[in-house]
This record gives sequence, structure tokens and C-alpha cells, in this order.
Amino acid sequence: MIEQIYMLGYRHRAFVGLFLLLVTIFTAAGLQRLQIDTGIDSLIPADDPSRLVYQKVMREFGTDNKTIIYIKDANLWTPEKLAKIEELHFAIEKIDGVNRVDSLFTLHTVKGKGGKIVSRPLLAASPKTEEEALDAKKSALANPLYQGNFFSENGEVTAMMVSVIDAEDSNNFSRTIHLTLEEQIETYRSDFERIAQVGPPRINAELKNSLYEDFILLGPLSVVVLVVSILIFMRSWLSAMVPLVTSLITIIWTFGALGWIGVPLNILSAMIPSLIIVIGSTEDTHMMSAFLRGLKENPGKNSRREAVKYMAKHIGLPMALTVLTTTLGFASNLFSNIGLIQQFSFAATFAMLANGFITILVMPLMLSIFGADESTSILKDMERNSLPDRIMSVFRYSQVRFPISILVFTAILCAFFLFQASKLYVTNDPLSYFPSDRPLIQDAKRIHEDLAGIKIFFISLESKQGKAFQKPKNIQKLADIQRFLTHQGVYDGSISLADHLQFLNHEFRGGSPENPLPESRQLVAQYLMFLHRGDLDNYVSHDYRRANIVVRHNITDSHTLNQYIEELQEVIVKIAGPDMKFFIVGENLMVNKAAESLMTAQVKALALLMALIFLIMSIMFTSFKGGLIALVPAIIPIALMFGIMGYLDIPLNPGTAMVAVIAIGIAIDGTIHLLARYNELCRRTSDYDDAVNTAVNDEATPLIVSSIALAFGFGILIFSNFTIVAQFGALAAATMLFSIFANLLVTPIIMTRIRLVGLYQILSMSIDPKVLDGSPLLQNMSNYQRRKAILISELHEFEKGELLVKQDTIGRNMHLILSGEAEVIRRDGNESHSLAILKPGQIFGEVGYIRETERTANVLATKKVTALRFDYERMQKDLKFFPNIVAKLNFNISYILGERLADMVAKSKNK
Amino acid sequence: MKLLLRSQLFFLLSLLISLSHLQECIGFTSSETTGAEIMEEVDKRHKQFPYIYEEQSMILVDRYGEQDTRKARRYSRVEEDGTVRFLLLFDYPQEVKGVALLANREPDGKTNKYIYLPAYGEQLLESADEGNGDNFLGTDFSVENLTGEILSDHRYVRRDDREVEKVKYFVLDVYKAKNTSTKDRILRRHFIQQDNLYITLTHHFDKHRRIARIQSHHDLKEVDHDMLRANMILMENMKNQHQSLIKTSRRIFSHDYVPLEIFTAEWLYENYPHIEPTEEIDTDDPFDKKETTE
Repeated sequence: MIEQIYMLGYRHRAFVGLFLLLVTIFTAAGLQRLQIDTGIDSLIPADDPSRLVYQKVMREFGTDNKTIIYIKDANLWTPEKLAKIEELHFAIEKIDGVNRVDSLFTLHTVKGKGGKIVSRPLLAASPKTEEEALDAKKSALANPLYQGNFFSENGEVTAMMVSVIDAEDSNNFSRTIHLTLEEQIETYRSDFERIAQVGPPRINAELKNSLYEDFILLGPLSVVVLVVSILIFMRSWLSAMVPLVTSLITIIWTFGALGWIGVPLNILSAMIPSLIIVIGSTEDTHMMSAFLRGLKENPGKNSRREAVKYMAKHIGLPMALTVLTTTLGFASNLFSNIGLIQQFSFAATFAMLANGFITILVMPLMLSIFGADESTSILKDMERNSLPDRIMSVFRYSQVRFPISILVFTAILCAFFLFQASKLYVTNDPLSYFPSDRPLIQDAKRIHEDLAGIKIFFISLESKQGKAFQKPKNIQKLADIQRFLTHQGVYDGSISLADHLQFLNHEFRGGSPENPLPESRQLVAQYLMFLHRGDLDNYVSHDYRRANIVVRHNITDSHTLNQYIEELQEVIVKIAGPDMKFFIVGENLMVNKAAESLMTAQVKALALLMALIFLIMSIMFTSFKGGLIALVPAIIPIALMFGIMGYLDIPLNPGTAMVAVIAIGIAIDGTIHLLARYNELCRRTSDYDDAVNTAVNDEATPLIVSSIALAFGFGILIFSNFTIVAQFGALAAATMLFSIFANLLVTPIIMTRIRLVGLYQILSMSIDPKVLDGSPLLQNMSNYQRRKAILISELHEFEKGELLVKQDTIGRNMHLILSGEAEVIRRDGNESHSLAILKPGQIFGEVGYIRETERTANVLATKKVTALRFDYERMQKDLKFFPNIVAKLNFNISYILGERLADMVAKSKNK
Repeated sequence: MKLLLRSQLFFLLSLLISLSHLQECIGFTSSETTGAEIMEEVDKRHKQFPYIYEEQSMILVDRYGEQDTRKARRYSRVEEDGTVRFLLLFDYPQEVKGVALLANREPDGKTNKYIYLPAYGEQLLESADEGNGDNFLGTDFSVENLTGEILSDHRYVRRDDREVEKVKYFVLDVYKAKNTSTKDRILRRHFIQQDNLYITLTHHFDKHRRIARIQSHHDLKEVDHDMLRANMILMENMKNQHQSLIKTSRRIFSHDYVPLEIFTAEWLYENYPHIEPTEEIDTDDPFDKKETTE
């Protein structure tokens, strides 16, 4: 069945070609519908319950989505500079989509001195004289509410807060706002020492630009790397062209399908073309290797056709399995509650499946047209290629000389790296997606240093009582929480209603050094009459039932932030008391909280994937040991990878979190090919060590070539504009190299200690059931057990006239005839006597099997014979691998011998 | 017959009066009339009564449409020497009861403003807005917006008349008197209804000649012959998207309601003494009764 599917492209070229063309045209039409989503929203779990609370708090206290325009100048407080800031303020206010601009021209201040109260704008308009400017500076720096938010301590920096609202919810809103703001800023750039904007529109716009740049850079770079690696290792243009064609079709299918379905591209999608090109090429490499082997084994007239058939037969099922496991690796993230990962996972899963399907159709089709007709030196060159050959010579030497030491060393290495992995931490901060030397990050750092971090969260307290936050005792709670925030020492600052009231009290009391809160509810209410509602929008609800503390920070480590937030929660519970509810919310917090779920989701995905692989491999090789062995080359690279992350301080983020599952999915491919080959070889020999060596020899080159090509392919992702993609690429590349070590050094040592039988071999076996039913050796066994018993034996074919057993020789094996006919002939001197004719189902040589003795007769094939050989030594080995089957076989042999003894006794009595 | 003659005579007299008034209006609407002349006529027609007592509700609406209501009593009194005294005394919410804004405008135009906060202590705090004409006590109004402007302090430039929904308006731009060039900063633009010479709409401009606030007068009531008063004054703050609405529910023109003594600190301290800190207070609305206008 599988072979027939693989042969479709060869047998029905026109039909397959037309089908591929039509689907490609259809999917290509979906490309224009592709959407790009670089919004922060996709980093927050859709089912996060705090999302609703966050939205409610945002509605009430205003958005945390603000762009900060940072202006620095040593002579900021001069009429000329302030006039420029004023111009900029009003120019920005005119921009479509700008909802509100807060700057030193909208700030309000209250000043008290000698029984006078001045309540006025900080600067109603730009000052005309130096004195006015300096007076404004004095007022601005004296107001604790504004320091750190709008002004730096030394007064050289001021900030403008721009709130934007995307009324039409347009796709390009962020980019348009960012560019328009940038245009305005550019006009004034020469007027100040430094001026820059930082906020969601810029972050979003830069994410999008970087995504486009990645698409343009990474795809072509992957192509170059792939072509060069394949040419170096395989020295065949066709081997390089086939993966390019399959990758190109896959890319069109994938992105076209995403367009039709409506799944947007995000920053992780930038690596999909590279993944398709690189991962997709590994299957092509294995298939091409099999085709070349096929040519070598089938020289002659129809060599190309036979080689394709050989390829289909030998690579068909392993390839289906590897496509399945690679796809599972990507699919394990499908259920992530983080949109960014889920969308990427969907796209990558689709791409891997599509690539497998396309490769199965395209590879035979292309081989049928461009494939070689005779074995060339390519295969030999490949096998003798210096790098894989050198690697293997080192590995072979180590395996033979120090098998146990290698296992112990590997275990110690894994333990060490797992210890390093304990230092792992998570982060989901969008700013950490960019490299630290990027201007955006530098600007954010400057704002943090001169003012306060650009990240904001709110602590919202809610009382059941109306006007609760006019009561001094409740306002005191706000102040107490803020005191604890200061005590935690990790935030840049916080502001609440309490700060406003402390400031007012301070000014009304003539600037007394102590700033206690107003002592009565009436005084609170009467002070607040000096403020506009707009001044308090962010801090208290209109009915004074809810109050809000605005906290600014610059923490990038999600785990640390989450820990501080947990600590804060515990304290607020005590401060707020039972009558008051509280919420700590912020987009930034939700994103960071999602990082924690990222960690647990990855552990779950990893466990699920490993369980699935274990299950699939156990079924495929009808052995739990097979399943366990398949996991070894997956676990070792992952342990090393996590260790390196811990050692090099690389955080777990949406990019690096996926390496483990994806790498397992890919690394297992080599193991599958290795195990499949070993299993195939075990059918031909009873020397398992030799079978392992041969399997490793056969698979080493494609495995090393594909792993190195994968490492190079992933490695090019370090050129990505996104740190998370670059980290993903570097770690995945390292994991691919580790998988060579695991697959070719460690796995073979374990393989020699096991014997596998493939389920597909059992199911695909075609033997006349009458033969099996009639054979005394297979009595009282289920059909499945009979098939498995057959598969742990050796299959041999004998031409007519060939001896199956030679008289007077010693051989510790017996045979079961599956087809054909043989004659037992005893030779006494020059005379020969035919003792019996053996038919399918009958066995012979059972005495030699039980006891080392000379054969008493020849067994000659009178027709072409297919027979199974049960070797004593091998059966003893297999007893530990397949105890039930071997025990049944031994029982049946005892039965047969018992019957024979009884016959002989009966015959002697009769005589 | 006598009755008929008397009624005919009354009709003719009324007709003559109307015609004379019409002639006055026709003459007034001439395009040659200056802005200052129009404002003088507006002032004359709707000049401030010397003694006014009003009960008002102030509704403050924020950008999200949330409303805060305050109730206050407004006293104003014009002395013979031209001094204008103004007292705004808050009654509701209970927390701000007794808060007062006391303003005196001297004949020379100098205005002093004081604030009394009973919860703060028995002390008048001088409120100095430093000539910015900024709003008071969290509303979008300045004191000047409510007391009316002094004509001599300003220069009025007449613009083209406008007609909106069949109502004709004079349009006057207001500048500071000391400025003579039209390039100077425009303070506000009055829209004066031609049929009643009442300023029903004023655009207040910021330094950049943008409309910062819009003041509109509604529910006009004739209080004495042609003299009108608005029972509702709405101020819209365009920058902050606030609205402040003053609704007058009761108005009395009487010397008895506005005695001179209430414009003193002593009267305030006596009637609204310092409040000692308490947590719970009565929040009943003292004006929770049917509104009337006298």
C-alpha cells in the first residue's frame, strides 16, 4: 500500500503533476489574504481570566497603551526649547488617532505659600522670558507627582505621553501612528540633544519591519545553506534541486492555506520557510540515499524504476513515521494557550505534513524524469566522505573499546547539564525579542534610567461602599501598598490618589516638610475640588469606590516579576482587608504571567510528545524496549540543550521553549531510520553486533549529512532580527549536532542489546495460512504469535538442487519449510536412500537444534524452497527479548521430539 | 363705545412703541455698528442686577460621561462705587458643604479671590490664578465667565453676521483692550442673538487660536422687560473633554437675600465653622425638592 503511494509520482506523472499544479494555484490565491499579527495580544492566553478585569480597569482608569516621547536637552528650560516642545505637543495632538497628549503644557499644579493658593497649569503656554521658564522648572521639579513620570531629577529630560485609540481597528494603525509621530519628531530632532518615541506603536511597527526583513533574509539564506551542504556531501545537483522544489511548493501551500483559513503570521512565522527548506530536505536526503542504493543493487535495464521501487520499499514506512513524529513535534504546541505559539504551531504542523505529502509525490516524479539510470560513484563518495567517515571511525572505536564508559559518561554529562538546566528562567517580555543593541531597546533603557520604566501595571482596589476613597483610612491603604512597593525595591515608581492628596496637603500647609495625608474625609473632598476630574482619571473612579495605583517598572525577567507580584498580592490581602477587593492588572503582567504557563505548557507538550513517540515506536517495533530506545537519542540532546540554556543564561521564551519538542520530533527521525535498518538486517543474520554495525554504516552518512544540514539550516536563524528566533536557531542547531552523538554513539551500544520486529513486517507478511496451521512447530499459537515467531527466525531461499542440510556436518539449527519441496536423503557409502519428502509446514533438523550432533542425512531442494531457519544460539538470545514466543516454540519442539520418540518406541515394539 | 375708543387708543400706542423699537433694532443691525457699540447695548439690555441670589446645581461630566453633582448658592452684589462682590457657597455634597469662593472686583477692575475650606480651618486662602483666568474648584468655568466681562478692559471686533437655523447672530471677537492689532491673541468669540441681544454662545480660544472651551446659554428667561437670564449654562472643555453645566433652579433679585455681611470671612466662620475630622457624615441632598424660579 505504502509502496503504491510512493510510486504514484513515477507511474502517473501527468496526473500527479496536474494535481500539484492545481493545488498550488489554488493555495497561491490565498497568499494575498495573508495577515500579519505582531500585536501584544497574541502573547496573552485567550482564556486568561484577568483579561476581563484588565479591560474593565482600562475602561475606568485609561489605557496603559501609551507612547512616551522622550526629550533630553541640557537647556530644556529655555523659552526657545519650551516653545519647540509646545509646537510638537500641538502637532501631535492634531494627528488622527491621537486621543490625548499629556505634557508639561497640560499638567496642572497647586502651590501654597503664605496663605495663598495658586492652582494653575504648569505652563499654560510657552514662556516668554528666561525667568518664567525657570519658574516653571522649579514648579515642575518640586512636584513629586511629576518627577520620574514627566521630568528627570535634574530637569534635563521631559516626557510627553501620547495615548492613541484605533477607532477603526485598522491593520496598519500602529505603523501609521508610529510613522506620523516619527515624522513630527524628525522635524524637531535638531532642536534637542535627543528625542525619541517608545511605545506600543513603535514596538509593533518594528516587529513588523523586522518580520519582513527576516522573511527576505532567512528564506534565501536557508536555500544557499541547503544547496551548499547537499552539494558538499552528496555532490549531486538533483539532490539539491529536489528539496528546493518540494520546499517551494510547501511554502506556497502553507502560506496560501494560512491566508485562506485566516491564521495570521507572527514573529515566529519568519522561520517557517527556513524550517520547511531545512527539515524538509532531510527526508529528501534519505530518499535520495535509498534511490542511490537501489541503483547499486538493481543494475540493468530498468534500474531507475527498480531503484525508485527500492526506495519506496525501504524508505516508505520510516519516512511516513518520521513525517509523523516531526509533525507531532510541532503539533504538540497546538494546544498552547498563547496565540503566538499556537498560530506558529498550526502553520508549522501544516507545513510539515504538506512537505511530507509533497515530497512523496514530487521525489519519484522528478527521479522518473531526471534520475540517474546507473549507480555512479556518488554513493561510494558519499560513504567515503571524509567528515561522516571520520566521525564514524571515532565512534566505532569508542563503541568497541569503551561501551560502558560511554554510557556512564553520557549519564554524567546529562546529569551535569540537567543541573545547569535548574538555573533556567522564563521571560515573555516583547522587548526581549529584540537584541539589546537595537535603538528601540537603547531608547527604552534611557527612559528607564532618566525617568521610569516604560512598563506599567495597575493595582486596583475596590470597595463596596460609595466614596470609600474619600476616607483617610482607605487612602492610607493606598499609601501603605505604595510603601511596600518601595520596600520591594524593584519598581521605578508608583502614583496614586494618596500621592495627590499628600501633595495638596503639603502645599496647603505651606510646604511643611512632612506630607501626611489629610485627616478628615471632608478635607479630602475639599482638597480634591482643586483638581480636575481629568487629573484623577487614572487614579480614582468618579464615585470614589475604586482607586488605582499606577506602577512603572523595567523588569524583563517574567519569573522574577511574577514572584514579586505574588509577594505583593499576599501583602495587599492584609492591607486591603476583607471588605475590599483588589486586582493587579496590566497587559505587561498578563504577558509575563503567560510565561509561566509557557513553562508548564512546554513540560506538558514534551511529556505528551515523548509518550506518543514511545507508544508509536513500541507499537511499530512490537516492543516497549524499542519505544524506550527510540527515546534515548531524543532525551540526551534535550538534556544537553536545556543545560546549555541554563549555563549561558538563555531564558525560556516563546522561541526557545519550542526547541525541545521540535528537536525531538526531528532527532527521532534518524533513530527511526537506524532502527528500521537494523530490524531489516536482523532478518538476514544471527549476528546482532554485525547487524548494528551494518545499520550504522548504512545510515551514518545520511544521518550525519541531514543533521549537519539541519544544524546549518537552524544556524542561519541567528541572523534573525528577533533574539528569540536567533536563540531558537542556535539551540536547535546545537541540538541537531548533539543528536548525531546520541544516534550514532549511544544508540548503537543499546541496540546491540535488543532485538526488534517491525509491526509492519508482521502485518505485511504473505504466507499461506494452511502452511502455518499445518506446521507442528507453530501449533497452539495465535496468528500474530506465529508471524512474530517467523520474523525472529532467519528467512532463506534455496534453488532446486541446492542442499538445505548436509549430512555429517554439525549445525545447531532447524528449518521450517514455507514453500517448495525437499527430499531427505541418507547416504551410506555410495548408496543413497530417500527417507522422506518434506512439504510446506514440515520441519527438519530439530535434533541438531536440541543437541550438537552430526547431521544424519542430506536435505535437498527438489523444487525452489523458502524456509525459515531457527538457530539455537539466536533463539537463546531471543528468549530474553521474546520470552513468550521462544517458550512456545521450545514447547512445540519438545512436543515434536516427544512424538517422534513415541513413534520410534512404537516402531521398535512392532519390530 | 368709550371702551372701543380706549382699546383702539391702546392698540395705536402699542404699535407706535413697537415701531420705535423696530426702528431701534433696524438701526442697530446696520453693518456700520461697531463691536463695542453692540456690546454696550448687550450690557445695557441685560445689565447685572445689583443684588442677585441664585440656587444652582453644578453638573460636572468627565470624558467617560460620568457625572458629579454639586449644589451651591450664588450671591452677587454690585455696590454704588462699582465694586462687585461675589460669593459661591457649596451645600452639596455634604463633604464640601461650606466651601466658598469669595471674589471682589474693585472699580478699577482688580479682582481678589479667596477660598474658604471649613475642613482646612478658619482661614481664607487667597486664590491667585495669576491672570490665567483658569477654572475654579474643578469646574470648567472661570469666575469671569460667570460675572461677565468688563467692557473697558476689552476690545471688540465685529465679524460677519451669521445665521444659524434662521436665527441671526452678531459675531464679535474679543481681545484685550491694550492690544490693538488683530494679529494679537483672540480671547473669545461671542455669538449674540440679534433678536434679543443675548450672548448665547461663546468660543474661548487658547494661545494657538484653537477653540479650547465652548460656553453656551440655554433656557433663557425674561426677568425684567427685555432683560434675559439663562437658567442653564454649559461649558464644554474641548481639550479635556469635560463638561460643566450650571443649572439655576431659583433666582431672586432682592437686597434682603444678599446682605453685605455674607461677603466676609467672619460670616463664613460663624455659619460654617471648622469641621473636626469625622468619618461618617450625612449625605442627604439639601436641595432635594422641586426647583422653582422666582
